[in-house]
Amino acid sequence: MRWHAPADLEEALLLRGVHGEDVTVHAGGTFLGILMNQGLIAPPALLSLGRVAELRGIEVARGELRLGAMATHLAVERHPEVREGWPMLARAFGLVASRRVRAVATVGGVLADADYASDPPAALSALGARAILRGPGGERSVSIEELILGYYTTCIRPDELLVEVRVPPAPERAVYRKFVSRSSEDRPCVTVAAAHGAAGLAVVVGALAERPQRFDDLCAAAAGDLAAAGAREQLAQDYAARVEPIGDARGSAAYRRRVCAVEVRRALEALAA
Amino acid sequence: MRVAFVLDGAPAELEAGEGEMLVDALRAAGRLSVRETCGIGVCGACAVIVDDEPVSACLMLAAQVDGRSVTTVEGLPDDDPVLQAFTQAHAAQCGWCTPGMVLTVKAMLADDPQIDRERAAEGLGGNLCRCGSYSRILDAVQLAAELTLKED
Repeated sequence: MRWHAPADLEEALLLRGVHGEDVTVHAGGTFLGILMNQGLIAPPALLSLGRVAELRGIEVARGELRLGAMATHLAVERHPEVREGWPMLARAFGLVASRRVRAVATVGGVLADADYASDPPAALSALGARAILRGPGGERSVSIEELILGYYTTCIRPDELLVEVRVPPAPERAVYRKFVSRSSEDRPCVTVAAAHGAAGLAVVVGALAERPQRFDDLCAAAAGDLAAAGAREQLAQDYAARVEPIGDARGSAAYRRRVCAVEVRRALEALAA
Repeated sequence: MRVAFVLDGAPAELEAGEGEMLVDALRAAGRLSVRETCGIGVCGACAVIVDDEPVSACLMLAAQVDGRSVTTVEGLPDDDPVLQAFTQAHAAQCGWCTPGMVLTVKAMLADDPQIDRERAAEGLGGNLCRCGSYSRILDAVQLAAELTLKED
């Protein structure tokens, strides 16, 4: 296995352009480490972004939060400006696995892995975040829904790198709920990220299907009625009816559908409180 | 590939195999307190401190620590307050999880010197003890906090 560890982004993009699908991009490596330890993958070459310091930044520019792809979960969780301006995001990143994993796992990694049982994608989707993909032809910006296509599948092209995530100014209210069915540090069974502000209502259900589930038509119809318990319950039921849950060790599809109804209702209650 | 780093305070170099995980490289270098157990970053028995943060050595490639600093429990002085507290509180039963616990507690106390039992339990959520010695481990954390404060 070849180990490429470029010192800057320019070199990393060059290597990515030359090797394309023949290199696996290695960020923190917590997810790839599991897959390699289990013998599920044996990449012929890794392209490590570990030395690319310019991808580690976290900054606020013109009210927008910019997370470098190599910013760790722990860095996001602890960053004073994230905690102040985007507390729901700090909380969602802070609920991932253990501190040991959060110290290493990155913002870009968790999105590019597109693992369905991760916390950040649903949270970032509810906040309207966009991923910046850079390749030989320049940059493009995609929403989280455009980025994550299905199980472990993204729209990132073989010559592109996910370099940054941009989160617009946070809505007035935002909440993140994580339901675990086994132990406290387990990956989630069902998560709900919900946000309500000038941009309207967004409710995203994570971990229960192959990609985060959001139904903007349902949210648009219900956004004005969140103060009414009946409307909240109706939206929760509508979400539970519309999602296409999977079954795995953390819960059957039928179980997840029921949990979805409860967790969406509780998230909406928190938004309305 | 050649990996140059600081191991337990001293400059070290090792020859890491392709795709070799840090836990295996450290064991090959004689650090047998670092123990691969679950292999998926859940149990904490292979925890080491890289720079200032505990990480799972089973999920980190040896190549990733090039130019960085790695601390195992074997690098702590005998009179380290956390080690002393674990001994005095009889917090180890079989001892398998103890090195990872000690390093995690060191990092926790650095952030939160007056940690209470509840926050300590939360912080150790990612460290499993299959003997179930948790109550004594939490006693040890309280004692370690007192000894550390006294030391400072």
